[in-house]
Amino acid sequence: MYIQLVLASRYLLGRRLRTSLTTLAVAFAVLVIFGMNAILPTMLRAFTANVLTASGQVDLTITLKTGESFAPSVLSKVKSEPSLSAVAGSLIRTVNIPDGFFPKDAQVGAVTLTGIDAKSAQLLHNYTVTEGRMLRAEDEDAAVIAQSLADTLRISAGSKLRLPTTEGEAKLTVVGIRRARTLPGSEEVLVTLAEAQKLLALPNRINTIEANLQATDEASRSAIEGSILGKLGDNYESGSLAGGGEIMAAMRNAQAIFSLFGFLALFMGGFIIFNTFRTVVAERRHDIGMLRAIGAGRGAIAGIFMIEGLLQGTIGTLVGMALGYLLALGSMALLDPIMVQYIHISMGAPVITVGLVVTTALLGIGVTLLAGLLPAISASRLTPLEALRPEVKDASKRRAGAGFYIGLLLICLAAVALIAGNVSLAGLGALLVLVGLVLVAPVLVGPLASLFGGLLSAVIARQGTGMLAEGNLERQPGRAAVTASTTMVGLAIIVTAAGAISSMNSFLIVVLGKTLGSDYMLVPPSVGVWSSNIGANSGLADRLRAVPGVDAVSTIRFAMSQSDGKTVSVLGIDPVVFPQVAGLNFQQGDADTAFAALDVGRTLIANGPLASQLGLGAGDTMRLSTPTGSQEYTIVAVAGDYLNAKIPSAYISQRLVRQDFRKTDDVFVQVNLADGARAVDVEARLKSIVTDYPQFKLISRQVYQDQTKQAVDAALIMYTFILAALAIPSLIALLNTLAIGVIERTREIGMLRAVGATRSQVRRMVLAEALLLAAVGTVLGLIAGLYLSYVSVLGLGASGYPLAYSFPVWGLVAAAAIGLGFGALAAVIPARQAAGLEIVRALQYE
Amino acid sequence: MALVQAENLTKIYGKGETAITALDHVSLSVEAGEFVAVMGPSGCGKSTLLHLLGGLDRPSEGRVVIDGSSLADLSDDALTKLRRRKIGFVFQFFNLLPVLSALENAALPLTLDGVADGAAKARAGDWLVRVDLGSRLGSRPDQLSGGQQQRVAIARALVAQPSLILADEPTGNLDSRASDEIAGLLRQVADEWGRAVVMVTHDAHVAEYADRKVVLHDGMIVEDNHRDKVG
Repeated sequence: MYIQLVLASRYLLGRRLRTSLTTLAVAFAVLVIFGMNAILPTMLRAFTANVLTASGQVDLTITLKTGESFAPSVLSKVKSEPSLSAVAGSLIRTVNIPDGFFPKDAQVGAVTLTGIDAKSAQLLHNYTVTEGRMLRAEDEDAAVIAQSLADTLRISAGSKLRLPTTEGEAKLTVVGIRRARTLPGSEEVLVTLAEAQKLLALPNRINTIEANLQATDEASRSAIEGSILGKLGDNYESGSLAGGGEIMAAMRNAQAIFSLFGFLALFMGGFIIFNTFRTVVAERRHDIGMLRAIGAGRGAIAGIFMIEGLLQGTIGTLVGMALGYLLALGSMALLDPIMVQYIHISMGAPVITVGLVVTTALLGIGVTLLAGLLPAISASRLTPLEALRPEVKDASKRRAGAGFYIGLLLICLAAVALIAGNVSLAGLGALLVLVGLVLVAPVLVGPLASLFGGLLSAVIARQGTGMLAEGNLERQPGRAAVTASTTMVGLAIIVTAAGAISSMNSFLIVVLGKTLGSDYMLVPPSVGVWSSNIGANSGLADRLRAVPGVDAVSTIRFAMSQSDGKTVSVLGIDPVVFPQVAGLNFQQGDADTAFAALDVGRTLIANGPLASQLGLGAGDTMRLSTPTGSQEYTIVAVAGDYLNAKIPSAYISQRLVRQDFRKTDDVFVQVNLADGARAVDVEARLKSIVTDYPQFKLISRQVYQDQTKQAVDAALIMYTFILAALAIPSLIALLNTLAIGVIERTREIGMLRAVGATRSQVRRMVLAEALLLAAVGTVLGLIAGLYLSYVSVLGLGASGYPLAYSFPVWGLVAAAAIGLGFGALAAVIPARQAAGLEIVRALQYE
Repeated sequence: MALVQAENLTKIYGKGETAITALDHVSLSVEAGEFVAVMGPSGCGKSTLLHLLGGLDRPSEGRVVIDGSSLADLSDDALTKLRRRKIGFVFQFFNLLPVLSALENAALPLTLDGVADGAAKARAGDWLVRVDLGSRLGSRPDQLSGGQQQRVAIARALVAQPSLILADEPTGNLDSRASDEIAGLLRQVADEWGRAVVMVTHDAHVAEYADRKVVLHDGMIVEDNHRDKVG
């Protein structure tokens, strides 16, 4: 064992560059997995802490699962529970603050408007005011804020605090200042419950019940909580506020996606290690033969390779974890000031759990060992005679073997699966096409190298260097294929994502044109995620309708609901006016019938994501939880609009939003001008009305569509950059293979220099080889990526997004540029090494 | 003037106590068309001398002049070009590129010099015919015998019309029959094609093919015999 360890470590130290590169491949993958799984849980912890502390330090917080408001009568049910020391009902809403509403340097993105019962809330929270006084039940237009908000807005007790509300801009008198806020979350503005109900257009409604319990032991507390929830029914829950739900769900998704990226990086790292070890076995043939001849057993030989794998895996994993931790620490340091400033959430130190450390270590070391296993076994199988016999350098081209034909078969099956149009089959086909390409790659290396070799010879690799590079690549088709496969996986992901994103964007642009057809829109700060927007009462729409030149005004009202435990955005429209101003993109049913049906009974139009999530279609029924209980709705059509395209949403009539959800505020308004109306005149009048409702921004259709398209393009570019990082393992693989090639061909390079190749020609030869290798990987990556992107679009179709496949031209260009760019980059060090070889030493190299 | 003029060549490897003098003030001149065999025991400096003559390495002292050009005055690129055009190398292990055919291997110095592919191959083909490999132009090295591979290497050494051929143990990896063939071929290179040939060899029988035998010992020339030309 000791001698194996000595040999393994000496071999590793003897090839420092190669050892560093393979270790780096493991480290990169571990960095992604470890770093991302440290960053996102830290953010989740901070948001969770925010949600919990937002309710104050009370024993129990009860809300509707949907987060919507309910009647204060529910409070009496809670109060009937014995063993409660204090109970209070309140109305709490996040109010998004539009850009420019407060002075420029006061960066306040949102505040929490908290309507409290002054007397009972004091018992629960023990509010302490440092300046002025606390709220009284009879107060009107009064607020208590924290010193931190007062400092930010440069106001004090007695000053006016402006806030956007459903009634237009409200001016509240600050009657008291509390200590500066130290808890995470947005700044709190305390008003009386009646004031909050007025400002939010929710008369006689509350959305939170808080209670303190007399019992102190955990069992009694759980029993009391269970008893209360039993009285209230399934629609209620304890211990959470709905506000952070959307964010946390998005972050969990992000965590899953980044973990997937990490696993793919690890998979590519495994490829690199496999390739290296396979080369190492060939390179050490004589050493193995000698060791076997003097009595080393098969196990001992395999052991040397496995120890090398273990050493590299362990070092790579430790380095990856350290870098991952630094990444998390750096990200937290960057995010912390922003989060503290805007929402008073401090990220704290990265969350590193024992589970994360153990899982990452097992993955990092496990994959390294697994990748080294096959080469180790093949090394142990060499007989002493075979290993000591002079190696015959066979440069014959790779002929198609069983692997090639199996690969071809898999690709054909994948093609059939795609033609069949079945999403599940095509999903399986995605795997088949990747495995198939890996299997056929060794045979394709030669033809592809010849194809690109001619081109390269004409451009940069003249005077025979291109021909030499081509030959070098063809002599180790297996190694070239594994390297190319690593590039293929990295680039395939880029093309896939680019295809899916560009298809989704094309779809959104089409839906945008179809559904946001009004001449003007009144847009709230947060479009699509409606729950934190403050709407307007019907007075706004009425005033807009009264403007000469306005033909029609359509509004959308919003309520949060659940169906089958899944969150549903409920959007209230006027079935008569809405189609005149805007529209929906129909997948099932037609506009005339569907909008007419919305006016009758309990009916809804489900958008694609909702229908897909619940597995329902037109004609089916579904239940929606409402503050008045669970209600059954009939789906009359499946259709969606641009703003809600990504969120499971149901369109119902405003009559039902009022009746079932008690919501009457408009969160989005669309305005159409009458024929012949002068837009300039009308726009000026609309603007003056909107000034009274600062939560909205007036924007014309053309400007909105232009801005949206720009945002879509910017998102596309950003995604491409993020995904480009996934090609980093392919850079390591290319660099590794080229470095191995230079070491292996040292004597040949010496001969070339001896017979007259200049250093520059040697450099160009290595560069050409790198570009050829990268080109082979790029071709395979583009093919795999196109297949995968088509499958992902099919998959999105099955998830409620009926996308037309948009050919990802820019994705292909970006992937090809990244692939070839990395090829050129990977050549720098090996080319310098090759060109710098001393001729005599190189000629004597064994 | 001699084609090759080596004056006081000294090569010391390492420094201080570990310094090894591989060549110690060796002077040698070789005329055009002369076939010189350099002999001596292992470690006597034969290969070092050959490397210095070919500009593959630089001397610690002394200088080498080839066809009027002092190698010490040339830049790395100029030296490379001189090697490409005026010197041909033949190695013990042939050092052919396994991925190239015999024709492509032989044409390599011309290809590297930017000669058009067709012209380079035509000239390489001529030389391969002259070394009796006209029927194996398309064969790759692994399809040729050791003797045949060394013939390809000789064709490669001659293809750029160099005036000097440096051969380092060209028969060291061949059986006696093939050794005779290669030594005879080198004799032909000097006699018929007028090139100067400097061959390092251990094999006294092979050395008999040369016009002149230079024996080295401990980095110094201990014997320099001119003989009448062989048959």
